[in-house]
Amino acid sequence: MTLQRKIFGLVLLLLLALALTLPFTVSNYMLRVCNMTMITYMCVVSLFVIFGMAGQISFAQAGFWGVGAYISAILTVKLHVSALVALLASGLGTAAFAAILGLALFRLHGHYFGFATIGVVMILNGLFQNWKPVTGGADGIANIPPFAIGSLEFASETSLFYLIAVAVIIISIATYVIYRSSLGRAFMAIRDNEIAAKCMGVNCYQTKVIAFAISGLYCGIAGSLFAFVSSYISATSFTFMQSSLYLVMLMLGGYHSLPGPIVGTALLMMLPEWFRFLQEYILLIYGLGVMLLMVVMPDGLIGGGKQALESYRNKRKGVANVAQK
Amino acid sequence: MSPKNNPVMVLEKVCKRFGGVVAADDVSFELEPGQIRGLIGPNGSGKSTTLNLISGICDVEPGIILLDGEDITKKAIHERARMGIARTFQHPRLLSRCDIKTNLFLGHDLGNMRRASGASQEIDQSVDELLDVAGLKIGMDDSIKTLSYGQQKLLEIIRAILTKPKVFLLDEPAAGINTREMDRIRALIAIAIRNKAAVLLVEHSMDLVMSLCDIITVLNFGCVIAEGVPAEIQGNEAVIEAYLGRRRHA
Repeated sequence: MTLQRKIFGLVLLLLLALALTLPFTVSNYMLRVCNMTMITYMCVVSLFVIFGMAGQISFAQAGFWGVGAYISAILTVKLHVSALVALLASGLGTAAFAAILGLALFRLHGHYFGFATIGVVMILNGLFQNWKPVTGGADGIANIPPFAIGSLEFASETSLFYLIAVAVIIISIATYVIYRSSLGRAFMAIRDNEIAAKCMGVNCYQTKVIAFAISGLYCGIAGSLFAFVSSYISATSFTFMQSSLYLVMLMLGGYHSLPGPIVGTALLMMLPEWFRFLQEYILLIYGLGVMLLMVVMPDGLIGGGKQALESYRNKRKGVANVAQK
Repeated sequence: MSPKNNPVMVLEKVCKRFGGVVAADDVSFELEPGQIRGLIGPNGSGKSTTLNLISGICDVEPGIILLDGEDITKKAIHERARMGIARTFQHPRLLSRCDIKTNLFLGHDLGNMRRASGASQEIDQSVDELLDVAGLKIGMDDSIKTLSYGQQKLLEIIRAILTKPKVFLLDEPAAGINTREMDRIRALIAIAIRNKAAVLLVEHSMDLVMSLCDIITVLNFGCVIAEGVPAEIQGNEAVIEAYLGRRRHA
């Protein structure tokens, strides 16, 4: 695990270095892209918790993201609650929503849970679209005030960047702590062998609900930040498509370790910016890329990279042994 | 019959039916701390079903299972595990995508949980000692996939011992392993016994059963057909008949 720890530390350091300097080196537009990338990353990490660790595939994440966004939007625009309170309410509210949903949905097992979550994101999207008195219907909610703590206002793209970066770091560290804890081991036991998990005293039903609630918490925070960053939200953002995009990002990076979501999200969010000249073909390239990846590197870039490193080492070891003889 | 001291687990007329097949029919026996009970019988006689009934994977219908005098017949698998029932499986059920450390820690976690609730004390052995007894020279960060079948079985036994079980169920630990590993399994079971576990051993290897068990229960078609110390079982007519068939009288 030392190698993994080293890699994780390195990635974290790089991320920190990037966070400190990025606003001075890139355009405002690129900064917006970075902010959106970090928000997306939180949702992908939420999928890492529920799918990567606990093995329960969920398409509800974009729906949770929307719940978080609408909670913050409604609280600040209609009820004039302070932004910080709205952010907390989004996180906790979405976590509670996910937990209640989990209590019902985890009566289903395996793929059936996954299918049910597709229903969740669709129903939520329909709700956002049509519940006019609360969500504003198709018009969405506009004029969301900028995020503020007291008189400290986060209106500029740069200040938002730092705000979101803090959230990203907290969520990353929290996830790492969970990964190393007995709770994380219970998640992974459920993923790998539910019977074995139960025989090791894991209450699978309750533990899955906890995993789902944690993933809801992350999405809720991401949704709230999204509302403050874009100052306007509507149902078109919170779709099944978005949920599947999270899944693709997680699979691309690798869903076995925490650096996976970082790599996957960064690549898929940044690539369209770098390859803008391929605009019309970008979806085609996406699709082919994902298929190719699943064939060549089923464990994602991080998993595949680790494997390549290992086989390279073994080869060198082999060469050294032969040389000794 | 068995010397009745202070049984930690009692099975009273436990039954299980799968459709028309009777997998367990009025199975009754007791498990005592520090004692090894062998559970043998021909294929399909209900041995694994009995383990599943005790660990809660199958529902008992009807019958009663007592642990420390408490009726656990309706308790969930994880509740029974937390009360001190540990088991291994015929085919090891390890966390296939995790490293060895995570697999062992899973046993540790349950052990900690049991200690926190006052249900258990620390086991006397460290993980390193147990790995040493098992002859496993493995890197803690290695993937489970690097282990052989026998090593996986040994690791699963260690994982169970780390929970400091009151009742330790072993489902064919010797199936598919070599003689050296068989000795390792003996040594690990001895450690479980030293930690005051009551061991129930399902096994086809008569060598292991006859040399290890204090008392043996023989099942056939879900019924207990004999019970006694190894020497009695070896000479028991009904047992020989169940295994080899009835001698034809001319």
